[in-house]
Amino acid sequence: MEPLLQHLLNGLLLGSTYSLLGIGLTLIFGLMNVVNFAHGEFYTLGAYVTFAGLTVASVSFVLAIPLTILAGMAVGAACERLLLRPLRAASIDTTMLVMIGLWIALQNAELLIWGGVAKSVPTPFSTQPVVVGPVSVAPLRLFVFAVSALLIAAAHLVLARTKLGKAMRATFQDRETAALMGVSIERIHTITFALGAGLAAAAGALLGPVFLVYPSMGDLAALKAFSVVILGGLGNFAGAAVGGLLLGVAEELGAGYVSSGYRDAIGFVIIVAMLLCRPSGLFARAERVG
Amino acid sequence: MRHLVQRIWALSLAAALLAGLGAPAVFAQPGEPIKIGVIQPLSGPVAASGSYVRMGAEIARDWINGRGGVLGRPIQLLIEDNKSDPKEAATAAEKLIVRDKVPVIMGAWGSSMTLAAMPKLEEYGVPMIVETSSAASVTKRGNPWVFRISPPSEMEALGLERYVKDLAIKQAAFLAVNTDWGRGAVTAFGDLLKRSGATVGATEFMDQAATDMNAQITKIKAGPSDTLFLTTSVEQITLVLKQAQEQRLGRKIITTGGSSSPSQLIKQAGAAAEGTYHLLFFLPWFPEAMPDGRLAKAFVDEWQKRGHPFEGLTEGFRGHDGILTAAEAIKLAGKPDPKAVREALWKVNLMGVNGPIRFEKDGPAGKESGQSRPSIFVVQIKDGKVALPAFLAKK
Amino acid sequence: MKRVVGVVLVVVAGTAPFWVWNAYHLHTLIMAGIFSILAMSLNLLLGYTGQLSLGHAAFFGIGAYTSALLTLKLEWSPWVGLLVAILLPALAGFVIGRLALKLRGAYFVLLTISFAGVVSLVSVNWMALTQGPLGLPGIPPVELTLPGLGAVSLRSKGAYYYLVLGAVVLAYGVCRRLVHSRLGRALVALRENEPLAESVGVDGTHYLVLATIVSAGMAGAGGGLYAHYTRFVSPEVFLFTYTVTMVIMVVAGGKGTLAGPVVGAVIFTVVPEALRAFASWQWQMLLYGILLIATLFFMPRGIVPELADGWADHWRPRPRTP
Repeated sequence: MEPLLQHLLNGLLLGSTYSLLGIGLTLIFGLMNVVNFAHGEFYTLGAYVTFAGLTVASVSFVLAIPLTILAGMAVGAACERLLLRPLRAASIDTTMLVMIGLWIALQNAELLIWGGVAKSVPTPFSTQPVVVGPVSVAPLRLFVFAVSALLIAAAHLVLARTKLGKAMRATFQDRETAALMGVSIERIHTITFALGAGLAAAAGALLGPVFLVYPSMGDLAALKAFSVVILGGLGNFAGAAVGGLLLGVAEELGAGYVSSGYRDAIGFVIIVAMLLCRPSGLFARAERVG
Repeated sequence: MRHLVQRIWALSLAAALLAGLGAPAVFAQPGEPIKIGVIQPLSGPVAASGSYVRMGAEIARDWINGRGGVLGRPIQLLIEDNKSDPKEAATAAEKLIVRDKVPVIMGAWGSSMTLAAMPKLEEYGVPMIVETSSAASVTKRGNPWVFRISPPSEMEALGLERYVKDLAIKQAAFLAVNTDWGRGAVTAFGDLLKRSGATVGATEFMDQAATDMNAQITKIKAGPSDTLFLTTSVEQITLVLKQAQEQRLGRKIITTGGSSSPSQLIKQAGAAAEGTYHLLFFLPWFPEAMPDGRLAKAFVDEWQKRGHPFEGLTEGFRGHDGILTAAEAIKLAGKPDPKAVREALWKVNLMGVNGPIRFEKDGPAGKESGQSRPSIFVVQIKDGKVALPAFLAKK
Repeated sequence: MKRVVGVVLVVVAGTAPFWVWNAYHLHTLIMAGIFSILAMSLNLLLGYTGQLSLGHAAFFGIGAYTSALLTLKLEWSPWVGLLVAILLPALAGFVIGRLALKLRGAYFVLLTISFAGVVSLVSVNWMALTQGPLGLPGIPPVELTLPGLGAVSLRSKGAYYYLVLGAVVLAYGVCRRLVHSRLGRALVALRENEPLAESVGVDGTHYLVLATIVSAGMAGAGGGLYAHYTRFVSPEVFLFTYTVTMVIMVVAGGKGTLAGPVVGAVIFTVVPEALRAFASWQWQMLLYGILLIATLFFMPRGIVPELADGWADHWRPRPRTP
């Protein structure tokens, strides 16, 4: 019984990291329909910015996170203006390839600047685990879980309740009408992409200290993020959040009870099963997927 | 205007194409540097390790050139990135051999990279010094152009054999990276334990890029093993130690493979690394304890003088020893000719940072590869510092 | 004009082993050839049906492993190995196509990614079959039994080059026939407007499955050729970077055209090697990424369509305006 509880806890914590990665991408991929292969790089960038802030600029940990989000948003906005806007008329595959190029360029730039050695991010939390009955967990991870939940809730509120969110949803549902209604389409595109990048950077800021910071950390993360986004329904925050948790728990239980070597395969099999049964994702209302 | 720009860009690409295809090789003149090829993973998940080997190689190059070079000529390292991809390793080998005409290569770090490059060695007849790969098949495939200075997993396990009783291992669990290296270690150390009367418990694997090993740790914790053998790169070791602390695994942990860097672990895993044992091939904290203490100390000093991270020494020495071996072989051969260098490699008998380097025959008769017997050490992290384990200090 | 270009290309390609500078460059051309087969196969899906397969490396890898295992373990002839290397991935393509059923767009992409992920993990973990991460070294080279000459081992670069060239021409021919056939027209109709196509009786799933089968089989052929050339396969053939490379070649070359993938394959095989010659290892991939972005900026529809349009514009008689 003990291992099962610990496995479940592990799965939820792991899943929350997937959810965090997914919510940024669901904005960019789900709403803007940009296949953002560079999403992992915004995540990595966030981790490096936090690392730099804490070690070079001696900023406090709590302050570093919002600063990283702002940095991520700035870089995201720049990418949108410089790379995506000129190619707005091009096909989705062309923008996908530009994002691939950005992915390669950013990762290798990071390798050039920081080197390949993994960096450890200092945090104010103790490394002694918090013990609750049969399970134990590090305080840092609880903090990350809490902040992730906050970010997911905040993002959902922005999208669902604010005027900006309304403008965003309108733009991506029907551009012409939104423009007729007075929405500045160009600004919305930039803001949406910036928000997505900022959320990815936030994930990097939070997860960099949990794991380690190195140039290729974003690759696996991006792949999981895509799975989570599609699972949860494109553009659906709640879907991405729940999808992430489910994927985390499934992988954890699979690794614990079936085979650790095939761990990721179990995730994939679940995704395939999901796609066959409910192709439009967990939470999406019935939509045409074909 | 748009079409003009397009045409210019298309022409530039075409020019790059022709340049890539057309650039001829340079003919070597006496007095010109002797080139030695180096193939390492310089990008991707193990970029750090490849970089350390490169840094060690560069130290060796500078020392050798400072002493007058080889055969009166300086040596030059031609460094290629294999991008952790066997296809790239093979292509890099081909480029070094055909275009740059190197007489000897050092590489390629990971076993599958080395195995992919090996057919090229035989095709063109150029020897390669293997500095890190641990898969047995590297020297057992009957490729007479391969000379390895790193220990295969079996040899490494033998290095631990005399300490099994001292370490009091009754049942060990394994957690290894899911590559040839990790799997080879599991097999080799598993056999060792069985020979020594211990039993093997849970055997778990992790993907090379994985960052969350909690599932595997929970599973191992649920079993009765008293020791955990951990084989992977230093980044994953850091993560496993942290996560093991989080889950209060509370077991003796022994890392194998020589890639763990206890200094980096102390820095990044802190208290989680306390009490762990590590199998290494170099002791940068006690260089005097190495077979050639003076050389080891000089290497450590030079490394630090260059501002390289101390943590990289446990891998960097491989680059140094590899280049040292290559240079010695070229000197013994009398000319930078691949076939002569191969003959000369069998005659090499020198002292590297790790210890004596001399090749013995390994593999099928008539097509043996060369395998040296490197020194193997055990250290422990105690009170936040690296120390010789208690049972060794007594002896 | 097209005909002249075609003839020049054939002559240049056909005589390559004689004038190409050295074996390393010939190696690059052989890899370019193998990748053009892969790119053409992906183009069938991406360019003509509009569906993106991000797991295409799986078909490539299955083909490579199939031929490797059959020739190593069962000691079959490499020609039979190559044949099965086409059939087995084609079967996998059939399974994927049928599984996909009503899945399109992002969902199809995710299915292909998941499939590739599972196959990759099987190749790493099923030690008994694939030797896992140790890989399969020592794959026998292709042998040709010519009348009068006996068995000729296609081990030499020149000989293998011609084998690959032949395969490229064959693959190109297959694509050409397909595209101009009823299947091709159906695929394009589905890509442009699936509901409309279905309303006139074009069965979307049926044709998608067909396209996937051919595409997968072709990728498998590329895999088999790769295995017998490099003589070593390991689970790294399933790396995502291989799929990404194929996508780059197709889209940057010009998806939906016949020549696009081949041009893309040649350029994006040679450019990284050229970078190896001219840039130190720290800058190679960074420059590659920048080059990629720039190529798409200047030629967003792909190299072949943009250049073809530019050429057509050049020759079009300009209207005389006052």
